[in-house]
Amino acid sequence: MPQNEVVEGLDLDQYKYHFITEDEPVFRSGRGLNEKVVREISAQKDEPEWMLNFRLKALEIYNKKPMPTWGGDLSKLESVLDEIYFYVRPQDKMERSWDDVPPNIKETFERLGIPEAEQKVLAGVGAQYESEMVYHSLKEEWEKKGVIFDSIEDGLKNHPELFREHFGTVIPSADNKFSAMNSAVWSGGSFVYIPPGVELDTPLQAYFRVNQEQMGQFERTLIIADEGSKAHYIEGCTAPMYSTESFHSGVIEIVVKPGAHFRYTTIQNWSNNMYNLVTQRAMVHENATMEWLDGNLGSKLTMKYPSCYLVGEGAHGSVLSIAYSGDGQHQDTGGKVIHAAPNTTSQIVSKSISKGTGRSTYRGLCQVHEGSVNSKSNVECDALLINETSRTDTYPYIEIEEKKSNIGHEATVSKVGDEQLFYLMSRGMNEEEAMALIVRGFIEPIAKLLPLEYAVELNRLIELEMEGSVG
Amino acid sequence: MAEWIRIAGIEDCRENGCLHATTGNGEEIVVVRWEGEFFALEDRCSHQDFPLSDGEVMDGTLECVFHGARFDIRTGDAVQLPAIRPVRTFPVEVRGDDIFVQVE
Amino acid sequence: MAASPANVTGTGLMEGVTDHINREVVESLAADEPQWLRDRRLEAWSLYERTPMPTTRLEEWRYTNLSRKLKLEELVPLPWEERSFSPESAPARLKDAMARDREASGRLVEIDGSVAWVELAEEAASKGVILTSLRKAVESHPQILEELLATEALPANLGKFQALSAALWTDGVLLYVPKGVRLENPVRVTRWTSQAGRALFSRTLIVAEGASQVSFVDECVSEDLDAQTLASTGVEVFARDGAQVQFVSLQRMGKGPFHLSQQRTLAGRDSTLDTLNVGLGATTARVDLNAQLRGPGANSDMLGLYFGDGDQHFDFNTSQDHVAPNAKSDLLYKGALDGKAQSVFRGVIKVHRGAQGTDAYQTNRNLLLSERARADSLPNLEIEADDVRCSHGATVGQLDQNHLFYLMSRGISRNVAERLVVMGFLGEVLSRLPLGGVVEKVTEIIDEKLHG
Repeated sequence: MPQNEVVEGLDLDQYKYHFITEDEPVFRSGRGLNEKVVREISAQKDEPEWMLNFRLKALEIYNKKPMPTWGGDLSKLESVLDEIYFYVRPQDKMERSWDDVPPNIKETFERLGIPEAEQKVLAGVGAQYESEMVYHSLKEEWEKKGVIFDSIEDGLKNHPELFREHFGTVIPSADNKFSAMNSAVWSGGSFVYIPPGVELDTPLQAYFRVNQEQMGQFERTLIIADEGSKAHYIEGCTAPMYSTESFHSGVIEIVVKPGAHFRYTTIQNWSNNMYNLVTQRAMVHENATMEWLDGNLGSKLTMKYPSCYLVGEGAHGSVLSIAYSGDGQHQDTGGKVIHAAPNTTSQIVSKSISKGTGRSTYRGLCQVHEGSVNSKSNVECDALLINETSRTDTYPYIEIEEKKSNIGHEATVSKVGDEQLFYLMSRGMNEEEAMALIVRGFIEPIAKLLPLEYAVELNRLIELEMEGSVG
Repeated sequence: MAEWIRIAGIEDCRENGCLHATTGNGEEIVVVRWEGEFFALEDRCSHQDFPLSDGEVMDGTLECVFHGARFDIRTGDAVQLPAIRPVRTFPVEVRGDDIFVQVE
Repeated sequence: MAASPANVTGTGLMEGVTDHINREVVESLAADEPQWLRDRRLEAWSLYERTPMPTTRLEEWRYTNLSRKLKLEELVPLPWEERSFSPESAPARLKDAMARDREASGRLVEIDGSVAWVELAEEAASKGVILTSLRKAVESHPQILEELLATEALPANLGKFQALSAALWTDGVLLYVPKGVRLENPVRVTRWTSQAGRALFSRTLIVAEGASQVSFVDECVSEDLDAQTLASTGVEVFARDGAQVQFVSLQRMGKGPFHLSQQRTLAGRDSTLDTLNVGLGATTARVDLNAQLRGPGANSDMLGLYFGDGDQHFDFNTSQDHVAPNAKSDLLYKGALDGKAQSVFRGVIKVHRGAQGTDAYQTNRNLLLSERARADSLPNLEIEADDVRCSHGATVGQLDQNHLFYLMSRGISRNVAERLVVMGFLGEVLSRLPLGGVVEKVTEIIDEKLHG
């Protein structure tokens, strides 16, 4: 059977997160973005004045900045944004006990497997529903050690100095159009502080759910990993499928202090009507390590390039990225590493799969500043194409000002080889299994870095894509 | 040879503002007026080479309007991502109503 | 993308229109020309006027700031002039360049934008090969020019400078090789630029008919020039079905000039169209090379080599444009940068929908020899077909210390060892296009540069 027919059934129609929860929010802003909405959000959160001013200035910057003309197709975005609710408050207050979460929301997260995961494998869990965190909890042993894992709003309320010292310093509002938008209307997200020397042995997880139609979610996360600490933060994202577009634009700022080790994992599985435009950046100090593990499976268009600014000697940054683009999807993802100190090292590994009319783009930057002697960076991008209508692009920028550095970039593009398929089938597999095996093998180098439960989940998702592929 | 060049009149630059000037030998300069004092920096953000003179002066820093990078107006040091590298600064003198900078 | 139409706006922008570069110059050039050419020039000029000057905000010009590197308002275009040339009385550097050449099927010398001397081997002439000044060809071979000059390969609508070249060219080269004719030795063109402060515009049109074979070596030479100077060449190469063409551009101008070379190669069915761009001279050198694989089975090897020192700035902008299925392109650009030199390599492999069975590879490797040198590399892939084999790689690093230590352990001094390692690094490129005399010439020039 021709390969095209074999893979015909491999689409995302079986999106298992498509279910809509019937509920009534306690507050909803009007549609579109304007000063009134920004003031309403700030008032709902009872914020200090400096934050309101920060938001209003960001709105001004947002209004001045043009829509990006590179990356994905944003030509319809402006009209989408006019129809979107920028703030939807699902309940009055955030809960610390699972039992207190309203039943319909609780049921939603139970269907997504959150409480179960918390008991088994997580140090802490946060759950955001629409615009607000509805649940946040941290295991007692970590709380005793001074770990802070809170909603971003509570971070601002309860730790005003630490918050203000770092907020908006890694990603200024003016960084790009969508960081400006987020800075104006941010709501929800986590505030994380890991004290010096504290090593969390299980991950923290935040779960993001958009339930309403034509909803915009703008989570803002600020993470400070103090000296010599170690932690892993995982975010997962889902939404039901609507015929209209939804919008998600997060800003994630991370400060990794000397000797600390931080890993940030995203398993993004938004429904295919979601614009997902996210800015993620880490400032990495002396001998610290930052790892971004970025899995983009869902959304209509994702534009997202996690960055590491290696500003301290001996800092290490890595970006490991998996993208899957099915029919109508465009994953425009990648990573940026900026070597601004001696003996810094970095690695970017990107694997993408494009199927049907899907398009995967790798866009990346590797920059070595003069004086960053003995810097090393290695970038590898592999793209797998399933159909003749699929598309892939690779746009790396390599800017090297330091002689004593060693920089390499490699990319390959290939299709699933008939030889590979025939070989596996000759070993007794059917085509569907063979295809799934090849795709799994392709992403394996990254999947194996996930905690076991998530690796299993990722593999399951891939198998789901391959299901019914033999007609 | 270092020389002093007149690049603007003090009236050209509003308080806590900045303006673009050239030295005539191809050097692009941004003149900053902050709390009555004048400063001169290279008019090129070290992040992506955009002109700094489109930016905003605040708290003794000059903010690049394009991506929010900020520079200390006295030292040229980058004090805010996405810039890390400093920009060059130039000695400034006010002579009467004129602003002079010293260039190589 | 090199091949996409320029962003043309309706408003009369008039950027880059100066006291000396303006419509009157175009009109005076076109005064005695046939109507078709006159129209073509004026249309190109109108496009030039309406096209904005490229800025670093455009991807293709991100790393070369024209407002700093090229002061068009200070340049005066060179008119066409009747010039004579004799090898004996030629300037030393030009004489030297030609003396180092080996046997040729034809030779042509261009001085300050006007062809001064043409010589074609009798055997070639008898088989119908045409090698002539482009200006003369307007009268002698109008049908070839009307059909192919600045039309299919390098039309004015590709961009600001393509338009300028199509409007202002004074002279250049026409090489036509009839069907089945194979030239054993290369055709050698030497260009000499001596006037500082001027802008010269030359074009080259090479047509290799079906199953023919030809190599073309284009060498650009000058003294050091103390005022800025623009040397612009537009190159159009047609390899018809089954033809084999090698095009070599050897740019070794002195310090001062801005060298701008815009090249488009169109490879027909089962043809081979290889190019080598050697960048050694000039203060700023920009090469735009678009290789279109337009026939199934076409094959293009694209080689590049650059070595910069002082404050030299090289910018290579290449495109492997796979339109037809089952074609192959393989690009290798290697460069070494010393002093404060800077190189930019921006290359795209573009596989169009339907170009199944494409094999396309792209490699850019850079050696930084000094603290102040800089290399930027942007190897891009845009793939719209699935049955392809594509890869690219880019590296930036310093001299291989293992190689150095090995040589030094064999009693070779550090200086010599470094030279050998650099030569070995760059030599890989030359070994892939072993064209008579070129390898030796380039090796010698690099060696001289390494001696500083």
